[in-house]
Amino acid sequence: MISTSIKRILIASTLLLGSVWAFGQHQIGNGRISGDFGFNGMYYIPDSIIGAEPVDSKVRGNAFLNILYTNGGFSAGARYEFYQFPLIDFEKIGYKGQGIKYFFADYKNSFIQVTAGNYYEQFGNGLTLRAYEDRQLGIDNSLLGARIKLTPYKGIYIKGVWGMERYNFDSYLGRKDFVSGADLEISLGELVPVIQEKGFIARVGANFVSKHQPVDYPYYFDLYPGTDSATLAYIPEDKIPVNVGTWAVRGTFGYEGFRLDGEYARKINDPNITNHFIYKPGEALFLSATYAMKGFGIAASFIRADNMEFRSDRYEYSNSLLMVNCIPAINRQYSYQLIGDYSYASQPNSQIGAQLQVNYQIPKKSALGGKYGTDITFNYSRFHDIDKQLVPEAVENGTLTGTMGYTSQFFKFGPNLLYQDIGLEISHRFNNKKWKWILAYNYITYNLEILQGHAGVMRGHLVASDLSYKITPKHALRLEAQHLYTKDDIGSSIYAMLEYSFSPSWFVSIGDDWNYGNPDPVHKTHYYNISCAYIWNTTRIALNFGKTKEGILCVGGVCRAVPASYGVGLSVTTSF
Amino acid sequence: MKKILTVILCMTLSFSIFAQEAKDKHLAKLPAIDIQTLDGAVFNTKDIQNDGKPVIISLWATWCKPCIAELLAIADEYEDWVEETGVKLYAISIDDAKTSSRVAPFVKGKGWEYTVLLDVNSDFKRAMNVNDVPYMCILNGDGEIVWQHTSYAPGSEEEVHEIIKSLVK
Repeated sequence: MISTSIKRILIASTLLLGSVWAFGQHQIGNGRISGDFGFNGMYYIPDSIIGAEPVDSKVRGNAFLNILYTNGGFSAGARYEFYQFPLIDFEKIGYKGQGIKYFFADYKNSFIQVTAGNYYEQFGNGLTLRAYEDRQLGIDNSLLGARIKLTPYKGIYIKGVWGMERYNFDSYLGRKDFVSGADLEISLGELVPVIQEKGFIARVGANFVSKHQPVDYPYYFDLYPGTDSATLAYIPEDKIPVNVGTWAVRGTFGYEGFRLDGEYARKINDPNITNHFIYKPGEALFLSATYAMKGFGIAASFIRADNMEFRSDRYEYSNSLLMVNCIPAINRQYSYQLIGDYSYASQPNSQIGAQLQVNYQIPKKSALGGKYGTDITFNYSRFHDIDKQLVPEAVENGTLTGTMGYTSQFFKFGPNLLYQDIGLEISHRFNNKKWKWILAYNYITYNLEILQGHAGVMRGHLVASDLSYKITPKHALRLEAQHLYTKDDIGSSIYAMLEYSFSPSWFVSIGDDWNYGNPDPVHKTHYYNISCAYIWNTTRIALNFGKTKEGILCVGGVCRAVPASYGVGLSVTTSF
Repeated sequence: MKKILTVILCMTLSFSIFAQEAKDKHLAKLPAIDIQTLDGAVFNTKDIQNDGKPVIISLWATWCKPCIAELLAIADEYEDWVEETGVKLYAISIDDAKTSSRVAPFVKGKGWEYTVLLDVNSDFKRAMNVNDVPYMCILNGDGEIVWQHTSYAPGSEEEVHEIIKSLVK
């Protein structure tokens, strides 16, 4: 088994990489071929203390190859993915298999664009439709079907989509569900030039998205995902909506440095497993106001989402599988090692919250700013669940299923705090240009029970420092140091990482994340990592050895679980 | 499994033969992709130009630390570079709906003089076959891509400087 997996991964990667070199970047007639390749592999070593379980194939890897052909307004492309023995993170979320699950042909001129095959698309802020991919998270919600984009008049943009959503490596054969929708955007500034000339921005848009899924079970049953006490409730077949519609309206208005964005979306009855099969309509409101001038920027945003989880399959609840829309997580995102596990994940069925961020640059050449200025960023965000009052029928029946569920006061914050972040970051470059320092402090409150499913709330103070020193114009050292102080969850940790870079090609780093405050002495573990990367133009090869803590990985408020692991990893990416 | 591998192998071989024959020395130009300006207006990437002078394109995001480090390092030198070579830098953010409204305040807050564009659906990133950010490329006066690079190591802006200088000689 082990040798088969190694052999197959090696063969697949070599062939894929071989084709990269063969294809090269080539001109064929007036057309051009380009592409990119990625491989991410690991040799796993079991470690019972950190919880890295023995795996059946010790060598695992993910590989893909994209090929793109363009010729004037015509383009076509395909991606081959080899995830037959994927990294354990991907195996856990079911992203396993191989084949060409992404291919398309596209034609575009100034009036029309048509796409056949797979495509990614977003309407407005994505409250009703967002077909996207995130390779790191193993999300690929591309639609297989057709898309048309029209520009009948300068300033008027129309989009129409029809397609089936990708479901990991499953075949589309026999599927009866599909998503369709249309979006209209009117850019008033382009339509009426005087608006633009006076410096105003004004755009409005509207869309409608529908999901079609025939009824393949005679009744609904409510599983209450994650609990064993399944509550069964029967709903007659003719009460199950085969089509679920959502619509949204949006607008953007701006003048000079001011800008206001807003979108309101509503979902018509969508009983599904994540809302316990209720008939209540869903709704979401997203507002954002920003002001920016040279050296100063302020951004405030608000979000409320109620029963807005929207998937192609009413029985699907894991990760982002078959998710049609995406309710944005508007909190500030950090890349600090120690708070990665406490990143807020957007809650499309129940969240209300706001975020404020202020950026200020103490002017260059001033006493405090120094020659290059000092950047200060302040951030505050707070999210709660929404207010919910069960409808009498739900109380009587002892279950939400089949009822209108609950009522909710629109602007009232619910009883549970989900996430709060108060942060300050100062970044300064010193006058001799050799030293650069970023210093940050954050106080984070994170609801472990609702966001990760295990009891409690984590309240922690994080101090992070990132100091860079340019030894010579090409050689540089960077030292990252972080301390998370908390009495909750797995306790306090300290982290340090030293990176040496020789530009433009070499990076070497060594780091250690020590969970010294773990309440269980056995688990006061060092998660060390040594890594080395070589970059040549658009090719990057990285080798690393070390331990990864069990936790979550989040990209833009969308998260997936990361199992603990220990071993040697190799990653290669290139484009041509 | 075997079948697929055979297919890939055949595709590879036939393509390498085919491609070898058709190989010529044209440098690639940018693909024509609709992205957005900070005002939300549609902007086609074929309109990225600088009157015959070099162009630097950076693909970045507000959540990407090395991207910001690179753009900050160039910001210190940018005035001098513009004076010397007339170069223009397009900073194309791949921030999506969650964070794209924060790009403008972020850029202004940093005081950057770059031309900032938004690729919210990653269409340009995909068309450029970019795997990860930071990614940077340089166009010569004819709009041809003469240099590409991924990742950022402090000091690699010196290489960028050397290249744009060589393009205006």
